[in-house]
Amino acid sequence: MLLYLVWLLPLVGGVGLWAFGPQLKSWAGPIGSALVGVSFIATLFLWRDATAARALDVPLGSWLPGWSFGLLLDRLSLIWTLIITGVGFLIHVYSIGYMDRDRAFARFFAYMNFFVFAMLTLVLSDNVIGLLVGWGLVGLASYFLIGFWFYKPTAVAAARKAFVMNVVGDIGIMFAIFLIVAKLGGIGYGLIFANVGSAFTPHELFLVCLGLFIGCAAKSAQIPLHSWLPDAMEGPTPVSALIHAATMVTAGVYLVARFAPLWSASPDAQELVGAIGALTAIAGAILGCAQWDIKRILAYSTMSQIGYMIMGVGIGAYDAGVFHFLTHAFFKAQLFLGAGIIIHALADEQDVRRMGGLRKQMPFAFAAMLVGVLAISGVPGLSGFFSKDAVVYGALQTGHPWLYAVAVVTAGITAYYMFRLLFVTFFGAYRGAVDPSDLGIRHPELAGTAASPGHHPEEEEPHPHAPGWLMSAPVAILIVPTIAIGWLDFGSNSAWKQFFAGFFPRAADAAGAAPISEAVSTLLVLLAVAIGFAVAYARYGAPAALRGAIARLRTETIRMPGVLVNAYYFDAAFEALLVRPARALGGWFDRTVDPHVIDAGVREAAISAQWLGHLFRSFQTGLVRAYALTLAFGVACIVAYYALAFGGGR
Amino acid sequence: MTVTALVLGPLVIGLLLYLVPREHGGIARLVAVAVGAISFGLALYDPAAGDASVRWLSRPFAASFHLGFGPVSYWIVVLLALATFGAALAVTGPRSRALAAQLLILQGAMNGVFLAKDLLLFALFWDLMLIPVFLVLVEFAPHGRTAWKYLIYNLAGGLALLLATAAFGYLATTTDVIGKSLPAGTIGSVWGAWIFAGFAFAFLIKTPVFPFHTWMPETYAELPAPMVAVVSAVQSKAGLYGFLIVGLPFLAPEMARAQTLMFALGAIALIYGALASLVERDAKRVVAYSSLSHLGLIVLAVFSGSNLAIAGAVVYIVAHGLFSAVLFLALGAVEQREETRDLARLGGLGARNPKLAGALMLGALAALGLPGLAGFSGEILILTGLYRAGFVWPALVALVAVVLASAYMLRLFQGIMNGPEVPDLPERRDMTWTEALAIAPLVAGFVLLGINPAPLVARAAALAQPAPPALVSVRAVPEDSHAAGAR
Repeated sequence: MLLYLVWLLPLVGGVGLWAFGPQLKSWAGPIGSALVGVSFIATLFLWRDATAARALDVPLGSWLPGWSFGLLLDRLSLIWTLIITGVGFLIHVYSIGYMDRDRAFARFFAYMNFFVFAMLTLVLSDNVIGLLVGWGLVGLASYFLIGFWFYKPTAVAAARKAFVMNVVGDIGIMFAIFLIVAKLGGIGYGLIFANVGSAFTPHELFLVCLGLFIGCAAKSAQIPLHSWLPDAMEGPTPVSALIHAATMVTAGVYLVARFAPLWSASPDAQELVGAIGALTAIAGAILGCAQWDIKRILAYSTMSQIGYMIMGVGIGAYDAGVFHFLTHAFFKAQLFLGAGIIIHALADEQDVRRMGGLRKQMPFAFAAMLVGVLAISGVPGLSGFFSKDAVVYGALQTGHPWLYAVAVVTAGITAYYMFRLLFVTFFGAYRGAVDPSDLGIRHPELAGTAASPGHHPEEEEPHPHAPGWLMSAPVAILIVPTIAIGWLDFGSNSAWKQFFAGFFPRAADAAGAAPISEAVSTLLVLLAVAIGFAVAYARYGAPAALRGAIARLRTETIRMPGVLVNAYYFDAAFEALLVRPARALGGWFDRTVDPHVIDAGVREAAISAQWLGHLFRSFQTGLVRAYALTLAFGVACIVAYYALAFGGGR
Repeated sequence: MTVTALVLGPLVIGLLLYLVPREHGGIARLVAVAVGAISFGLALYDPAAGDASVRWLSRPFAASFHLGFGPVSYWIVVLLALATFGAALAVTGPRSRALAAQLLILQGAMNGVFLAKDLLLFALFWDLMLIPVFLVLVEFAPHGRTAWKYLIYNLAGGLALLLATAAFGYLATTTDVIGKSLPAGTIGSVWGAWIFAGFAFAFLIKTPVFPFHTWMPETYAELPAPMVAVVSAVQSKAGLYGFLIVGLPFLAPEMARAQTLMFALGAIALIYGALASLVERDAKRVVAYSSLSHLGLIVLAVFSGSNLAIAGAVVYIVAHGLFSAVLFLALGAVEQREETRDLARLGGLGARNPKLAGALMLGALAALGLPGLAGFSGEILILTGLYRAGFVWPALVALVAVVLASAYMLRLFQGIMNGPEVPDLPERRDMTWTEALAIAPLVAGFVLLGINPAPLVARAAALAQPAPPALVSVRAVPEDSHAAGAR
């Protein structure tokens, strides 16, 4: 019963705040936050049930035999539920401060609560249809929140793009459901996992995994379905932190981990997922080096980090992948909320070229971002170090040396672009007053980084200021796990490994022992990180670099390769190959085929038939009344016939 | 008694409304609202209502005035009552008397189509339901040719239906067959093909299915919003319903033979409609083309022969009725305020009309198949059934249409409600209570049906399974089966 509460409280909040928002006014924020907080505490009370030998499974109802729905809280969904409600609560509280002057304060919290409900539906379902419902609803919540400032055309377009690309993922999952139902006649996880070996041929199993992975790729921004995520930064910053960093975009990781028995039975699918994950990790990291918008840098880093997670769960290192999700949820939320403090203080400025030197004015934001940057770069002792190390070494353990190499290189690039972000934003002199063209910014209003109109109308001059306690407290709380949570997975018999002992299928030790020990591997990763840091320091952080910062940023902006500025031309390719042909074909159907082919054909056929031709002429000559009379006469004849027939029938 | 009242009540009251003075359109509207609400209550109160039957023909074949609830028709009648209620509430303007009256006549005629248990009666009501739409088009449509195009297309279908029914009755010696079964071989394969062709022609035009659809976008665009809500919600289902209750039980071999052709037409309609609504600028025509796409999916389901897909088709028939009514009512409200349906001119209404934006959003979400709403529950059952029955390619084509649906529905919604406000549009009043009351029950319907379609699925199971053999020997025409009389 407590599980119902956990699941439905955010829904109550979402619907209630949406319906009664205007009456609740500023109470909407505290109410919405409190509901998520209660949900979190209730989940803690369920810890014992979830980790018992038989996990908590509550039936809900059934559509037809085999299509039964229920809620399942086991170790995997427990971890996700705690993050969704726990980090979700902190971000809700932060949002009270961040959104305080927005016109649609209540609507924002209604959407946020609805998102929490949708995400809980996703992770708590005990069947594939329920999962798909959650999958679709988080997409909707994401659409609402990306397009939250719906008077901005860029936000509207970004929201639609995110939604449509996510539907591409949904149909992948639908395809997997077709196969599952066709083979098993049911939708429950228990049924599926019990029959993995017997019901599917290897080819079918690969197709199921492929369908599910299309869903993952769309939701978790994996190549080639990633390009919606950077655009999704049009939404308010707390949304980026909760949905597009900590929780929703990691749903793909959840999906692969949840369907671990399927993946473990299909080595082809594992190779595919592992390779796509690694490719996304490095491709996202490279793009992160070429961005100037603070949120876009973080978005590409999210894409890259999820690539790590997907690679981890894909190659069979499930607990490592899930652990990286856990640590990433904290440090990435931390980074986004820290960025939010800056953006809030600078009246929606997001371009790092127009920041600089904020360390002295905003020491708290600097501390928060610094901890986050250290954690994501994998500096020893902080959370990201442990989880990234586990994933990277997992690649070697399961016999994927190429993926291992890519992961190590990516770790170095990650350190480079994150420290680049840190140096450009916080060191040197403040560049907010510099003419944008001196920084190489040609069209600030087109770059999507100009202050959004109408958001904070009363705040005219950007002036760095300290955040209120509602914004700083959640960030301060997040610093603790960002630093410390990694120790959960310290050592060969860590608490984390014990928690998931026997939960996931064991990865087949393909190559037997890894060629190098974990300690050597760790040193290699640290070497890559050190190189990345050194390059970033030399280019952006060293005293000489700081002195010539303006000229340097200008040349770098102008000389940025087009392939990076345009994110490898994925959007252009989609536009040219899919969107334009579809619209052209639709226009041809609508404006040519319908009126000039089908209608014309019918007209010709009609005219050639004598009586219909006559009929056409009669109304074309305007004898409408005559025709109406004919019609009435015809109807009268029919009625009279049946009246007579009825009389004669008895 | 209940079923007779559902058919004759609205027909008679609709005709009587013409006695109300022309300037008291408000009264006519209230009466129509009440009739819609009462029919809804009546259908819910008495779901097990018995049949009403009076014999009226014995030569050349037996026919009866036989009405009754069937496995599919019950829910369609409930849907129609809700749609009529909402549409009547949305009636406004100087000519509301005519519109309210025609709405009721249409409701009565369509109740007749769906409740008829006799094929001849079915065909008769089929033609009757043209008349109110035609008359409203004549009176309201800006282009005269729309009404005639509608009439000629649908009359051609009606004629084919009547001929096929007559041939059917001649061979089976009775037309009182809906919901029963015929001994095998009653309809020979030679006649069967022609009879099926006649029925199929009528059904394909009415639905409509590519390439018989060109009357539809014009008719939908030019009908007043309340009328088009009902027409698209319910009238467009008559053809699909016909395939389910005439084709499946009596013409199964012909259905199987036509399968490839019908799959092709359905799949073309799916993609054709979706692509056309992706570029169409008239908001009502966007929804019209989306209907072409959605109903193509139901054609696939009906001809797949899979129980699961057919159960899904029944769910989707009702679901589409609910959300297309919501969409047209919401678009009607938009048009009334802004005096245009052109997506290029509209924009930014959401800022001043949040409730109207919410209503349109919900309708669009159900239409694009958002999981959790009724469009999805129908769609997933249909597609899973198709795939399970071995139709892999149609299922994949339908998945493409799902993606397109999200694109064109969001284009429609965002084009009207999002973006910067357009300065020169006249009025900015948010949704009134009557408008909300018209839409709310329909929305509640597709939310509930999305969460749990089990009641419809359960009834549909009765339809898809073959009726027990020799339950009724129709050829013998026992007197008592008809002499049961009206209850």
